[in-house]
Amino acid sequence: MTTVELTRPAERSRFARIGRVLLTPRAARITAPLLFLLVWQLVAPLIPSRILPMPSEVAEAMWEQLRDGTMVDAFSISILRLAAGFAIALVVGSVIGLAMGLSSRVEAFFHDFVIVGLTFPYLIWGLLVAMWFGFEGNGPLIVVVIAGLPYVILNMSEGVRDVSKDLRDMATSYEVPNGRVLQHLILPSLSPFFFASLRYGLANGWKGLVLAEVFAATSGAGYVINEMQEYGFFAGVIGFALWFALFSILVERLIFGRLSRRVFRWRSTTASAEKVRRVEPFEAMVD
Amino acid sequence: MATRTVPPQEAPAPGIETPTERPKPRLWAWRLAGYVLFIGAWVLLATYAFEVYILPSPTRVLAEMREILGKGDFWENFLATLQHLFIGFTIAYVVGTAIGIAMGRSSYWDGFFHDYVMLALTTPGLVFALICVMIFGLSTWAPIVAIVLTTFPHVTVNVVEGVRSIPRDLLDMASAYGVDRRTQLRHVILPAIAPFLFTAVRYGFAIAWKITALTELFGGSEGVGIQIRVKFELFNMAGVLAWAFFLVAFALIMERVVLQRLERRFFRWRPKAFA
Amino acid sequence: MATVEVRNLRKVFQGEDRQVVALDGVSFSASGHTFVSIVGPSGCGKSTLLNVLAGVEHPTSGRADILQGDRRAQVGYVFQAPRLLPWRTVMQNMLFVQKERTQQVRERAARYLKMVGLAEDHAAFPAQLSGGMQQRVGIARAFSIEPDALLMDEPFSHLDAITARGLRRELYEMWFDTKKTVLFVTHDVGEAVELSDRMVILAKGGKLRDDIKVDLPYPRDPADDKVALMKADVLRTFEELDLVAT
Repeated sequence: MTTVELTRPAERSRFARIGRVLLTPRAARITAPLLFLLVWQLVAPLIPSRILPMPSEVAEAMWEQLRDGTMVDAFSISILRLAAGFAIALVVGSVIGLAMGLSSRVEAFFHDFVIVGLTFPYLIWGLLVAMWFGFEGNGPLIVVVIAGLPYVILNMSEGVRDVSKDLRDMATSYEVPNGRVLQHLILPSLSPFFFASLRYGLANGWKGLVLAEVFAATSGAGYVINEMQEYGFFAGVIGFALWFALFSILVERLIFGRLSRRVFRWRSTTASAEKVRRVEPFEAMVD
Repeated sequence: MATRTVPPQEAPAPGIETPTERPKPRLWAWRLAGYVLFIGAWVLLATYAFEVYILPSPTRVLAEMREILGKGDFWENFLATLQHLFIGFTIAYVVGTAIGIAMGRSSYWDGFFHDYVMLALTTPGLVFALICVMIFGLSTWAPIVAIVLTTFPHVTVNVVEGVRSIPRDLLDMASAYGVDRRTQLRHVILPAIAPFLFTAVRYGFAIAWKITALTELFGGSEGVGIQIRVKFELFNMAGVLAWAFFLVAFALIMERVVLQRLERRFFRWRPKAFA
Repeated sequence: MATVEVRNLRKVFQGEDRQVVALDGVSFSASGHTFVSIVGPSGCGKSTLLNVLAGVEHPTSGRADILQGDRRAQVGYVFQAPRLLPWRTVMQNMLFVQKERTQQVRERAARYLKMVGLAEDHAAFPAQLSGGMQQRVGIARAFSIEPDALLMDEPFSHLDAITARGLRRELYEMWFDTKKTVLFVTHDVGEAVELSDRMVILAKGGKLRDDIKVDLPYPRDPADDKVALMKADVLRTFEELDLVAT
């Protein structure tokens, strides 16, 4: 019997000669950015510096931004706005989402607004709050709320609908008091959806925030990078973009990776099952 | 979703009276109530609370829309945006699919592209827009490149999922029956990934049109984005909202009506709808 | 020990465009130290009957009560699927259904875990246990609240034959020692004959068709001839009553 080979195109590539090690996925993760840097370094001298700066110029700009506090100040302010705005979105969104999950009437009322909220471009929100709140106001914070709200609502309402009816019936049949049902059944059941709200709400809140800062703020990461572009400081723009990238990586790896692993350790993985004392098979107990 | 432990459906025995159950809530009324509340609030705030240049009333916005349509350059701008959008999206889709297939089939390419895909998904579109405007200036390449850079990861993510879901057991079965590769491709592989290719269109499109408008706003000569900027700089909020309406209406029609309907028609056999 | 009273029980489910009659005027009663099996083909309403008795569903008309003297009895319920909270440990699952959280109650829960042989796994999460072990926790949980009556809905149908056999024996011993009233739903006639002293037969459409006493002495060996004969007898009755589904 023949089996279909769907994988392994890499073995036929030129890189096979350089070494087996380079073919591993791990190596690929390093090869990619290195390759990118290489191409950049080769292409940049051919293009005027005001259009495409050299990697060294960008590195210098990044170092400056770190040294004189521009980067830290800008990101701190943005993060604060994000946190404050998302806290509001989380509270309001959870209430609405839970209500929508529990009542089809409430769902009908809000449904279309959530859809539009998901579709509406952050650009327009940025412009609108700029008009409404000017440069010094809470415009960016409001945009965080608006951008994050639909994701919180969507996930929380799905979470409510997902609570297992079997488990709820079990609790009913044992006449478990409501407080305990809430604490041990409903809230834990909601936690993966709560996490999804956090993840998508924050990610989109961040995008909306940064854009709003261009029009409705005089500080923050979005404002700074836009300023640099307007002043023609191109190495700075790319440098700051790399700071954005670093920020994304940090948040993804540290916060979401660690946190979700801790909270969901009850999910069976082969790793966690091995930690349990090895139990004898039941059959041995029968006879 | 609530499921009941109901025994298999059967025809009721004759002469059974209808038990009393709560009457179905009139959901359309609640939906309507939402709209009424929204428009009502808008009119009230626009009339009594805010200046006309901060919050124009719905009627003012409608007037602007009529004016924009009346002027000659509406279609010029709209079509320019559509042009940027579709060229950019097509390139993004082709590139994204190619990379997605590579990533799905080979863990090497998965490792290679993984970080960029993750970055592109989480980095704000603003960053891409500014960089592209910086490099390409006012030419049409700015929005197109920006679209490609931001959109292909969304396509890739869906294609990867599609490739990973190709049913190996069906392919093994086909091989056991001696079915040739080409037929396998046509009847097993393509139908298996088709829904994901479709979803990739939906998600890719959703981001592409927003980036188009954004990039045009920062550095374009023609297009909806530039028009929005002009209105904004003239403090004409009604104008901004008018253009926004055209843009969002177009996107909604494409996303919710055209694409979703098509998807439902072609993929009826799928047991579970992907969001 | 409790008294089960079902009088003219009707349960109709309202679907989108039609109704389903799950129970059609079922009446029977049971009390004391008895093991009653509710037997019938799929769709005969046996799970619905248990759900109504457990308070999870409400009757469309008629009554279904489990009483201890005058008041409603304490009822333990064992389901087909173990229905354990997956994010809580075995012991926490046991405590979730208790009326109080005293040290006494904790010790009681531990005792029942020991009875089903899972004392050492009290800190494990359900996903770390096998299906049979999870079901044993479910049984221990039901017994641990020391109810007056026990309702069991095909508790062994999702387990392999060997595990199920062992659990049946365990269940019999616990019932025999604790002298409870047990209502046990099953579609497996052999299981019913092995465990119960009375079989209530339901047919498709939710009608009660027969009530059979199983007079064999305890403890019963499932491989015994008498048990097999009784099983054959009952199955013949099924055919006569036209219960064998087509």
